[in-house]
Amino acid sequence: MGPLVANEIISPDTNLFLAFLIGIGFGFVLESNGFSSSRRLAGMFYGYDTTVLKVFFTAAITGMLGLLFMSLFGWIDLSLIYINPTYLWSAIGGGVIMGVGFILGGYCPGTSFCAASIGKLDALAFIGGIFLGVLLFTEAYPLWENFFNAKYLGSPLLSSVLGLSRGVMTLLIILVALGMFWVGEWAEKRFARDDYKLNQK
Amino acid sequence: MSKNREPKKYMNPYLGGVLLGLVLIVAFWVSGRGLGASGAVKSVVVAGVETVAPQHAQNAVYYKQHSEDSLKSWLVFEMLGVLVGGFLSGAIAGRLKFSVEKGPHVSGKIRLIAATVGGIFFGLGSQLGRGCTSGSALTGMAVLSLGGFVTMAAIFGTAFALAYFARKLWL
Amino acid sequence: MKGRLILAAVVIPLGIIIAAVPENTTKPYKLTAEELLSEVKEGTQFMTPDAVAQLMVEKDPSLQLIDVRSSHEFEKFSLPGAINIPLENLLSAEYEDILNQDVKVNVFYSNSSNVANQAWMITRQLGYQNNYVLEGGLNYWAETIMNPQKPAATSPNEEMARYNFRQGASAALGGASVEQAAAPESKAAAVPAVKAQKKKKSVQGGC
Repeated sequence: MGPLVANEIISPDTNLFLAFLIGIGFGFVLESNGFSSSRRLAGMFYGYDTTVLKVFFTAAITGMLGLLFMSLFGWIDLSLIYINPTYLWSAIGGGVIMGVGFILGGYCPGTSFCAASIGKLDALAFIGGIFLGVLLFTEAYPLWENFFNAKYLGSPLLSSVLGLSRGVMTLLIILVALGMFWVGEWAEKRFARDDYKLNQK
Repeated sequence: MSKNREPKKYMNPYLGGVLLGLVLIVAFWVSGRGLGASGAVKSVVVAGVETVAPQHAQNAVYYKQHSEDSLKSWLVFEMLGVLVGGFLSGAIAGRLKFSVEKGPHVSGKIRLIAATVGGIFFGLGSQLGRGCTSGSALTGMAVLSLGGFVTMAAIFGTAFALAYFARKLWL
Repeated sequence: MKGRLILAAVVIPLGIIIAAVPENTTKPYKLTAEELLSEVKEGTQFMTPDAVAQLMVEKDPSLQLIDVRSSHEFEKFSLPGAINIPLENLLSAEYEDILNQDVKVNVFYSNSSNVANQAWMITRQLGYQNNYVLEGGLNYWAETIMNPQKPAATSPNEEMARYNFRQGASAALGGASVEQAAAPESKAAAVPAVKAQKKKKSVQGGC
């Protein structure tokens, strides 16, 4: 069965069309959760709004459980799924730079496009910045080429690094995530602000 | 009037997370890959440079290695969908409005400058880290990739560590 | 608050179930004779010289070339960056980490593809993955990459592009490189700017 494109059930062009539909779903869910609001996203780092944490980890858990159950039922071949390769130094270095961008800009790339679609001008500025940043990366590529390719580890899974099965790893992450949600809800009360309303169901 | 135009409430975050996870699973099931965002920008930049300055693109290392990236890529179509999906949700909930969102004690101008600088950092970092919060952290975590967890920890760890210094922007 | 409890009530039981059931391994550890035959028939183990040259030019860190000829032949000539595992030593314990892993793409080569293919059969039967064979071996490599034949002027563009790529790759990888593992950094400037078609493994992704 899945993935449909790797098993040649659908053609590459159909795949692109479905990418567009998947994107609509992605954008719709992001916006409905308020990921189009930079104050909401930044609230994560000051504790007054931890929606990012909740949505992000709930989605990751749902994804993990979904993939494992689908694999169990034989609906998807996990060996055909793309697993991003780990280049340890650039993963850390890139992550740190992105962290700086996050706290300054208040968006990440996906959410900035989503916010721009409902008219947020700061998101538009952020998108302009992303283009400049990517251009800077590609133009000055020789500068960081070595760093970019250093410490290549293949595509290891966290579970295999820790010597656990995927299922046990998932259960552990679920428990950790639920603990973080509890802390997050506590923080929302502790760091609540007069000038900011959560405004969610 | 103004009471009618009050935007609707946001979705419950846990419900939203499950829905986002389902979108992610559909992407895996259909295309064998997760969601992403910054890769679409990269495709546009590479294609743009190749069109505007083909001579230059032939001589710079990066463009030569990525000449197969074209605008007709999965992520470009997905991001076009994000624009449509975000707009639809905003329209339904009554949140369509041109505005600059900012903390209460910062001017619009500074907010726009900070957003641009933040975007530059994020653009650079996403390429260096081979993916942004959606492509590397969220998707990577869903497939239990070590790289996904490392990138996620680095992004959020740094942002938390710097939150104090950037508090003027947000608080 | 309530949302969190509902979520917990759903995901914790699911997590316990998935942790308790054995993992569904869609790929069998060892192949049956039929499966091996069908792989051999389809020739999935072969990588074309062009695909290998592309990886070498890109300095793809996942590529590991393995010379399965005798160490004597290896010293006389080898491809840049290759390591030597003579076929008779294939099963020695010191090489197991290299052959049985999921990090790198191993490409066996010999003078033709015969010996390399034997090495591939043995490792495949052991259930090892990520091992491939350089199609046609060094002979075909010399023919296609080192001394490419210029196609007729009437050939389709695709063929011309392939020729241009091979010419550039030949220059970048050093026509007669006896010295091995010399990082071709300074030579990278000679890489041609052609749109070489890249072999796709499973599904490409990334952000």
